[in-house]
Amino acid sequence: MSATSATSTAARIWAVCAKDATEELRNRVATLAVLFFAATALALTSYAIGPFGLAPEDRPPLQAALFWIILFFAAATGLPRAFVREEETGTALALRKTLPGALVLAGKALYNFGLFLAIAAVVIPGFLLLLDWRVAAPVTLAAVVVSGGFGLSVVSTFLSALTARAGQRNVLFVLVAFPLVLPLLLTAISGTLAATRGGASDAWTPLRVLIAYDGVASCAAYLLAEAAWED
Amino acid sequence: MKALKLFLLPYLSIIVAAAFLWPKPAQGFIGESSRIVFFHVPCAWTSTLAFLFAAAYSLAYLRRRNPWHDEIAAAAVKLGLFFGILTLVTGSLFASIMWGTWWNWDPRESSYLLLVFLYAAYLFLRAAIPDPERRARIAAVYALFAVVLMPFLVFVAPRVTASLHPQTVINPQGKILMDTPTRAVFFGALAGFSGLFLWLLSLEARTARLKRRARDGRDGVRSAGGATRT
Repeated sequence: MSATSATSTAARIWAVCAKDATEELRNRVATLAVLFFAATALALTSYAIGPFGLAPEDRPPLQAALFWIILFFAAATGLPRAFVREEETGTALALRKTLPGALVLAGKALYNFGLFLAIAAVVIPGFLLLLDWRVAAPVTLAAVVVSGGFGLSVVSTFLSALTARAGQRNVLFVLVAFPLVLPLLLTAISGTLAATRGGASDAWTPLRVLIAYDGVASCAAYLLAEAAWED
Repeated sequence: MKALKLFLLPYLSIIVAAAFLWPKPAQGFIGESSRIVFFHVPCAWTSTLAFLFAAAYSLAYLRRRNPWHDEIAAAAVKLGLFFGILTLVTGSLFASIMWGTWWNWDPRESSYLLLVFLYAAYLFLRAAIPDPERRARIAAVYALFAVVLMPFLVFVAPRVTASLHPQTVINPQGKILMDTPTRAVFFGALAGFSGLFLWLLSLEARTARLKRRARDGRDGVRSAGGATRT
């Protein structure tokens, strides 16, 4: 691939991402609903267990698990909309004719990754303040969140393309996505636990698994995008 | 396939008898519980083999768009689920004897349960798409995507956390820790279950093909009737 075509590819991916962001900014309801869901789930968790509702030795594993459960379910309300929105607004055909499926998928995954980071930006400070969450290795936690979120965004975007035209797509998305992202979630929980306890070296194994998952999922999604998105 | 059927009946009978009578129970296990290895592991192997078949035929479908490939892929997933559920049942029996509980969320048994969910979702996905061509294409894409992520579920996730599960055949030492009779029955069972899967797959594929022909025939008669009326 020449430098010019690489730049052109990046520009087209960015155009899809910017289009989705512009649409969401025009009608903020969907994004705000996702962020509101995250905040509500966080408030509910905080109300149920509070900062001192758990024994100190039980806190790190439970907090790590709750953190990713909230992130996953908040993401599951917003990320599948990537392709559903195109079908609902009747713009899917135009997008299909304009760009190759792989670039559409990449642009939408990039937008979804941004949305995931926005959810994490709401959940992380909330966890720190409301649940007295102590993170011994913040950089490691950031690496786990970014790598876990990237994989979650890619898989969710790809599955959104598969389920966008199916019946009962909202229920179907969760049914299809949960078993596929569970290895990622389990590994991310393990990495988050290591980060909260301060063992940056303990987090290295989960981080490597997350990076491998991200790479494999991205390559598979890229190779299958055309078949998933064709009419 | 008739020859395979005729071969499998005596062969599997001998394997089942040998599994109970020939090798001595392994050390470190309660009573005769270690004999479950001759059924549990072949079920898990056959289930994985079925999912690999589904992926191979899904790839073939995407390349050639032949509905027969899609039918074989769907049949392989159904059989994979059947053997996957048998894996869970036999594993649960072993757990009840060894650990005193039918289910304890051990990473390895949980990951296998999720593998069953992963392919149950394939069937849900198929059921949710009415158009046959789109259903076949989307199901093929999902089967390929799932098979690529399957190793994370089966091989990686259980190894990130501690497990009570006995050492697997694929172990860190890279050796098969079995005596000769155990090894003979074990590999015999693997071959027998694989043969059973191939025979069942041929039956499922034939049934699906006959159903499609009957459906196409009905559609043909209906459209011919419509043409006559107009």
